[in-house]
Amino acid sequence: MHDHNPSIPDAPEKTVLRLGYVPLSDCAPLVVAQRLGLGERYGIEIELHRQPSWAAVRDKLISGELDAAHALYGLVYGVELGLGGPQAPMAVLMTLNHNGQAITLSDRLARQLASGRTLRELVAEAPRPLVFAQTFPTGTHAMWLYYWLAAQGIHPLTDVKSVVIPPPQMSEALAAGLLDGFCAGEPWHAVAEAEGVGRTVVASGAIWPDHPEKVLACRRDFVTRYPRTARALTMTLLDACRWLDEPTHRFDAAGWLSGPTCIGRARSLILPRLLGGNGLPGAPLRFFDDGAVNYPYRSDGLWFLSQYRRWGLLRGSADLPAIAAAINQTALYREAATALGIAVPDDERSCVLIDGVSWNSRDPVAYADSFALRALELA
Amino acid sequence: MLRILLVNDTDKPIGTLRDALAGAGYTVIAEVDGAAALLRAVEEQRPDVVIIDTESPSRDTLEQLAVMGHAAPRPVVMFADQREPQAIRDAVGAGVTAYVVDEVTADRLAPIIEVALARFEEETRLRKRLADAEQRLAERKLIDRAKGLLMDKRGLSETEAYELLRRQAMRQGERIAEVARQLIAMVDLLG
Repeated sequence: MHDHNPSIPDAPEKTVLRLGYVPLSDCAPLVVAQRLGLGERYGIEIELHRQPSWAAVRDKLISGELDAAHALYGLVYGVELGLGGPQAPMAVLMTLNHNGQAITLSDRLARQLASGRTLRELVAEAPRPLVFAQTFPTGTHAMWLYYWLAAQGIHPLTDVKSVVIPPPQMSEALAAGLLDGFCAGEPWHAVAEAEGVGRTVVASGAIWPDHPEKVLACRRDFVTRYPRTARALTMTLLDACRWLDEPTHRFDAAGWLSGPTCIGRARSLILPRLLGGNGLPGAPLRFFDDGAVNYPYRSDGLWFLSQYRRWGLLRGSADLPAIAAAINQTALYREAATALGIAVPDDERSCVLIDGVSWNSRDPVAYADSFALRALELA
Repeated sequence: MLRILLVNDTDKPIGTLRDALAGAGYTVIAEVDGAAALLRAVEEQRPDVVIIDTESPSRDTLEQLAVMGHAAPRPVVMFADQREPQAIRDAVGAGVTAYVVDEVTADRLAPIIEVALARFEEETRLRKRLADAEQRLAERKLIDRAKGLLMDKRGLSETEAYELLRRQAMRQGERIAEVARQLIAMVDLLG
């Protein structure tokens, strides 16, 4: 697959790239890049390969069957650490979107909540442990769900049951009473509401305003072997994200996403929430925002590491900043963004999350250990 | 007898394995076609092995069970298009539990199930060893703290403090760490 043309110094080492994605509204940047042939300018051609699970995305990145993928932020970090599965050195080339996820509760639970009861009371009174689903053990949805529950005084690992259900099966599980709520991407909340089995109660952009969500992920050795390809791919996806910032373009994107080879659900279910409206407060789905979305902040990666520590997925005394620095390809991103005239921030990010606790990435271990609700210590 | 759960939710004919598995002396306890049914079957029937297609959407459900450990992780054998034995061995080596080739017959499957189980037992042993080491470290810390308290409050040397703890443990028929824990709790209580 080496078709590097040495006469062009910047030509990518590899020209046809196999990209994986999971059918969700926020895979839009990949779909747009492929539909509009945005890679052509940079000498690459994108092939899209839909994946049935995040485990499949992970395995195919590791085996080399995929060159890169639309992936949950936390999936990349989980693989780097080998949490519950195979370990491999991984890379985040850029962030693909902020916000745009949500938590939906069963109709019954949402009604009780709306009548003034707190979720904590409802959890305590339930005759059996309430069951909440997310999408991958180390993934973003698990972390948003856990954070949101803990912010209400509910321990996500002991007070409720946490399971994984593939998003397209969430509605059915809610309707069957097997599930009391779920955190996932869109359009699956819109689908649950349209089917009358659940109500979206919180936008992820209210849990952590402008939280990082999906990233462009690949193996670390892909970056070292094909640095010009990795840069060309980053530039292509930056163009796609910039294109998606124009609201009228999202009408087209919603149509492409709804096709049977992608999400396979009505455009009317996808478009409203792709445009940012779920009727709830919180920062809306963003793909670009003048590049503010896309810089692979190490502080974002460190937040996931802090939460892995908080929930007992990561024990011991690993050098967390070194892990984030190895994964997040800030130098490569800087080159790609600068070449496109996109501003690159100088500093890491600071944020305040839904519980009023601020996160500034300076001491992720102390941050993790400062939460009253966290995984129990070993004896 | 090994109890097997089949996850049959893709177009690969995993269901047809039932007879082959029975012929090889395994018991297929259930066949499920979605994540909710899979969760229920794992919880209620505790299979020894789960067989699932690599392209099954239910794979992430099993990932969560493995990470959380609350429904003890169990070997998962996957069904793939890989025809290349080396590729299968590489995948197994990388930690993806096990793979099966396309045309599945019981005699091809049996060794893979055995390998998956052996691997699982090895991992369980390693995890237990790690947990034991952490336990020992935690106990060592307790004993050190108790020794420090005795040295402080009773003016004992370190050796004398340890001797005292050891004798007390023998008298009570308890572990030294337990006596240390009681002592620390008592001192905390008395201030």
